[in-house]
Amino acid sequence: MSAGAMAKVGSPSPVWRRVRTVLSYGLLILLALTFIYPFLLALTTSFKTLPEINADPVGLIPSMWTTEGYARLIGLNVGRWFFNSAFIAVIVTVSNVIFAGLAGYALSRIKFPGSNAVFLALLGTMMIPGIVLLIPMFMVLRLLGMVDAYTGLIVPKMVTAFGIFLMKQFFESMPVEIEEAARIDGASRLDTFFRVALPLAQPAVIALVIFSFQGSWNDFMHPLIVITTNTELYTLPLGLAFLRGGIGQNLQWNALLAGSMLTTLPMALIFLFFQRYFIEGISYGGVKG
Amino acid sequence: MQARRVVLGLVALLTVALLAACSGAPVESGSDAAAGSDAASGDAASGAVELQLMGWASSEAENDRLQSVVDNINEAQDGFTLTMNLVPDYDTKLQTSMAGGAPPDVFYIDSFKFPDLVASGSVIPVQNIENPDDFYPNLREAFSSDGEFYCPPKDFSTLGLIYNTDMFDAAGLEYPTTDWTWDDLHAAAEALTDAENGVVGLALSPDMARWLAFLYQAGGSVVNDDFTAMTINSPEAQEALAFYVGLVQDGFAAQPADLSAGWNGEAFGQGAAAMTIEGNWIMPFMTDQFPDINFAVAELPAGPAGKATLSFTVCYDIPANGKNSEAASQAVNLLTNETGMAAWTDLGLAMPTRASLRDGWLEQYPDQEAFLNGAEYAYPWQFRPGFSDVLDTFNSGLQEAMAGTKSVDAVLSDTETVGTEVLNR
Amino acid sequence: MATGIKQQDRQDAIAGWLFMTPTLIIFGIFVFIPILFALYFSLTDWNGISPPGEAAFVGLRNYQDVLFGGGIRQQDFYKALKNTTYFALGVVPVQTALALFLAVVVNQRFLRFKSFFRTAYYFPAITSSVAISLIFLFLYQKDGLINEALSFVTFGAWKPVAWMADARGIFHIWLNWLGVNSERVPWLANTSLLGLSVWDWISGPSIALLAIMLMNTWTTIGTLMVIFLAALQDMPPQVYEAAQMDGAGTWTIFRRITLPLLRPTTFFVVTLGLMGTYQVFDQVYVMSSGGPAKTTLTVAYLVYRSGFNNFEMGMGLAVAILLFIIIFILTMIQRRVTEGEKA
Repeated sequence: MSAGAMAKVGSPSPVWRRVRTVLSYGLLILLALTFIYPFLLALTTSFKTLPEINADPVGLIPSMWTTEGYARLIGLNVGRWFFNSAFIAVIVTVSNVIFAGLAGYALSRIKFPGSNAVFLALLGTMMIPGIVLLIPMFMVLRLLGMVDAYTGLIVPKMVTAFGIFLMKQFFESMPVEIEEAARIDGASRLDTFFRVALPLAQPAVIALVIFSFQGSWNDFMHPLIVITTNTELYTLPLGLAFLRGGIGQNLQWNALLAGSMLTTLPMALIFLFFQRYFIEGISYGGVKG
Repeated sequence: MQARRVVLGLVALLTVALLAACSGAPVESGSDAAAGSDAASGDAASGAVELQLMGWASSEAENDRLQSVVDNINEAQDGFTLTMNLVPDYDTKLQTSMAGGAPPDVFYIDSFKFPDLVASGSVIPVQNIENPDDFYPNLREAFSSDGEFYCPPKDFSTLGLIYNTDMFDAAGLEYPTTDWTWDDLHAAAEALTDAENGVVGLALSPDMARWLAFLYQAGGSVVNDDFTAMTINSPEAQEALAFYVGLVQDGFAAQPADLSAGWNGEAFGQGAAAMTIEGNWIMPFMTDQFPDINFAVAELPAGPAGKATLSFTVCYDIPANGKNSEAASQAVNLLTNETGMAAWTDLGLAMPTRASLRDGWLEQYPDQEAFLNGAEYAYPWQFRPGFSDVLDTFNSGLQEAMAGTKSVDAVLSDTETVGTEVLNR
Repeated sequence: MATGIKQQDRQDAIAGWLFMTPTLIIFGIFVFIPILFALYFSLTDWNGISPPGEAAFVGLRNYQDVLFGGGIRQQDFYKALKNTTYFALGVVPVQTALALFLAVVVNQRFLRFKSFFRTAYYFPAITSSVAISLIFLFLYQKDGLINEALSFVTFGAWKPVAWMADARGIFHIWLNWLGVNSERVPWLANTSLLGLSVWDWISGPSIALLAIMLMNTWTTIGTLMVIFLAALQDMPPQVYEAAQMDGAGTWTIFRRITLPLLRPTTFFVVTLGLMGTYQVFDQVYVMSSGGPAKTTLTVAYLVYRSGFNNFEMGMGLAVAILLFIIIFILTMIQRRVTEGEKA
């Protein structure tokens, strides 16, 4: 599979082993390149001039570097959009970890009447195309006075079925013994959850943090319908959608891609930061090569 | 125990937030502009009504120009204040706010969607449209229902023949003239095709919104005047479709995808096609993205039944049940009277819909005369409610016909079948 | 003793519902109410613009039209269902297997530059979808990089295709190689099933749909990899140590221990995959609008088209509810299979 996995106990010769290692890494790097290449291309294309983008769309290195794409961003209210997106994403992420964690824990660990029905109902909500719920969602938000307000942008997203499902499946795959020990020591359900279960589920929590933040950070349709006139509430994806223009033919690709760098890079940093907590605590291979 | 308190606190906070929101008190009050059309009428104290104008986000130049037009209007009177709200994904947004009972006071309607909106009963005619006879008759027609003129068109574009002058020169061909016919187009396309260098004479998209001009030039039609029967499966339509698809099958024309382009304009700009058929929107596109290509615009060639082109237009309308219909009508009139429209169309991206502005505009943009001449014989891009199904069926068939997997007859008879079904709904 | 258990049950019931309270409040208001709304209006002729109160109740007519109406609505629905099913059948197994593979690789203790590889494989998931669709439109062009690469790999045997404009079904292409086509075997074209001919049903995904499938797989793998990765981190080390003591090889450990332990996660990932692929919308919306020749028309796109282009929201909602039923059934089957294996 990989360098480590392939190295079996007592491999014949060190030379052959080294060759295999090099090959494995070569393969992994090649694969990594195909995954990053489109991003790199988008990055360098954001520094190209429009005529060059049209003449040679897939050339990686611009023949003439320009920052005109980024210059277009300056006139826009990007700082405010950035703040809104970050603010919303942080609240949504924190609340998702708590609420989805609580719900997922209850559904997997606590035997309560109706839990299966509740789970199926929650799961079912993920099976309806979100696009048809836009109009009723808007009506509900209007009724609650949440149109054109941060509450409208945040509250409906504070817990997601995806998050609950994720946490439930993880709790199910974890051994119960430690929690039971805590319970016998007299800890309440809530204490057990916060003190024992949630810390044990750290990898799942990290995954949930990444996904929730990303989901909120990139969300387009929800802010589109929540914000009717108050452009101060615009989020980054919504604000940048302006760059796409009307008919969609005379696209200012460099500006568009400059904008998408602005949304991608913070997300990449967040991932880079959090993925370190996926520590290799478990000796998976454990095999000395 | 601390953890429990944290959670209880959060739950309590959430509940309070929800309750506060339910009671209607905005927890996080937006700026004044957030009032929306609901609160707008409550602003009677200051005397000025707040009006919201919703449209789709366009190029920066267009957005800025519209803003300055709106600013002028706000200064010119004190009955209302117009706030511009240009949004991405306009159709979804407009529909959500209309169905949700919070429509904007003034908004764009595309001619293709106009019949659907009228049929839904969600729009009403603008009151006291200024000098209505000044609008080109076929554009007025496009925004009329049962003989009533609903909404003044803000601007329009027509289809023209875009040609690469350098390629014409290199091939030693005369530039297209107003007398051109299909035969001339075919001959020029053939002469300009250079298979070795991957250049075709004409870029043609598999799209009814282009082919329809040829149908009208052949004297055909899609549906009869009172929308009771499909007329698309006719000898005229067969001739027009055979001509259109024939150009591709002969190798003198190609669809953009086969020229490695996303749309006609791109194929033309990249020099993969010597001619194409597009509207006014190609002008800023060429200036921005392909500044080095020399090109000009001619009128579309005449078919067996004479000249025809398509016009694409957008109007400003007001919602039914709007609270500010009077002020909104006034705003629309200020946007589309001679002063308002000239201030807008002088940008040169689309043409004025008032005949009285024709000459002044032409002086500024003589290179777009061919587009402007089209106004005289253009058919609006419009059918009747529910016609999207017909359009999809036709485009789907046209794509197959261009790929050589479906016959012209089958495309037309399939379209006729679906159209008949739609008419009988 | 008996009362003790009963009290425990009661306490559990209270705790369970208390834990669920925030979720139930938020979902009740912002999800269940809109869904009930959708359910009701799928039984009306609502156009999606007028105030919904004005819509007339039409019973099951929308469902009847879509499922058995015999017209273009029925045809489009089954066409979309066919496309979507090919999409799901192609994408779900591939993305699940690849994601698991990558997760195992980047979880290796001996792997160097782990952060780099993890981030690299996750990158497609975070790159903005606008940028991705743009780049892929370039890559899929007739003179684009993908055709060039295929041509290089096949020593020039590959004929460039305009990926996004090619409506030919890949099964049709293969059948043609075998000499089977609708002209040679007329009953394939003449026998109609639910509004589509048998020949249409067995088209396979079109080249254009295949292009979207590849792109979709590529963007989703990272997310699924992270889920698998998180699950691998949760594996109890003792089990592995015991297995290694017994001298089990890497592959045996993977198959006998890792896979069974990953079962809840695999169920999660496959369910997510089914739900995601059966609702595929974004890429179609941005890249192809259902074309060419309706071969990238998916059910979710059909929902959007009915509701927001054709002003037949009632019809669109009916299709959405039907899609819900289909996904629900598939998920239940999936669950049964996963749980059946467990027993």
